[in-house]
Amino acid sequence: MIDQSTVLLFITVAIASAVEATEALTILLASGITRGWRSTFEGALLALACLAVVVLAIGTALIQYVPLYILRTVVGTLLLIFGLQWLTKAILRQTGFKAAHDEHDIYDKEVAALSKEQQGIRGQRDSLAFAVSFKGVLLEGMEVVMIVISFGLATQSGNQLVTASLGALLGVGVMVAIAAAVAGPLTKVPENYMKLGVGCLLTVFGLFWMGEGVGVEWPLDDVFILVLLAIIVLATVGLIAYFGRVHERRLEVAAH
Amino acid sequence: MTTDNSGSKVWKAVRGFFAFWKDFLVGDSPVLALGVVIILCVAYILRGSAVWAPTAAVILVLVLIAFTVWQKTWTRRCAS
Repeated sequence: MIDQSTVLLFITVAIASAVEATEALTILLASGITRGWRSTFEGALLALACLAVVVLAIGTALIQYVPLYILRTVVGTLLLIFGLQWLTKAILRQTGFKAAHDEHDIYDKEVAALSKEQQGIRGQRDSLAFAVSFKGVLLEGMEVVMIVISFGLATQSGNQLVTASLGALLGVGVMVAIAAAVAGPLTKVPENYMKLGVGCLLTVFGLFWMGEGVGVEWPLDDVFILVLLAIIVLATVGLIAYFGRVHERRLEVAAH
Repeated sequence: MTTDNSGSKVWKAVRGFFAFWKDFLVGDSPVLALGVVIILCVAYILRGSAVWAPTAAVILVLVLIAFTVWQKTWTRRCAS
């Protein structure tokens, strides 16, 4: 029987992976179109292989040698920091205090930068395309790896590494399919709403596991995750409404 | 000379490693990281109380979110 926290875990990892995949795909598209697809794919595949090795090596080692309460404390603390970073940035973007993530702008800048460099010899590996795609996928993927390992190890039902990995693969797979269909940067993806959602979920899971790790007894056990989610979502909506008005007032003052 | 070069490369790699993790965990919001550590300590101290530990943890997280957003709105100009 699949419990609610497993479903929430799967959804959270899938959305987080989709957000990071959107950013990585923008870099891959720019590299592939300007420098060629072969070296771009090779760099991306090597980075994905490295990330998979990190998940398997670190994940398996941690579950075998580290006590669960220590894992939950560390993992919860990391997830809470990640979640709050995502959430506060998404609130600032939603209210207008921070510029929205513009994939088209990032794509144009990447294309301009890559076009300046001299093209490699046809038939040989383009080291620039390889390096750019490798670095892009590795850096964007590292956060997903941390989330997959954290969610995979800290759940009530024990090792959920496979569930978390499947969630990550689904998120990435959906974005790759959309990118292949539109053959351009994923500008229509509601990235900020996804980041808001993931920020709320990471904050909730992080707080819950960090608390469990240090011995806090949450009322209602696992069901309290939903209560926490409701509290964080309501607070987020309230903050967006309040700071959105603050932003509007500042714009009005600046206009006069 | 070779030892100096390899020494500086190792030192550069070590600094790069810590810079990566600092950027990863702290980023541009040291207040968030510090706040989470404070919440962790408070939850640990109050862990014996079934009422105060969860209540304090939730309230502190809400205060941390609100404070961080408020702080950033004062340090940033409007984006649009």
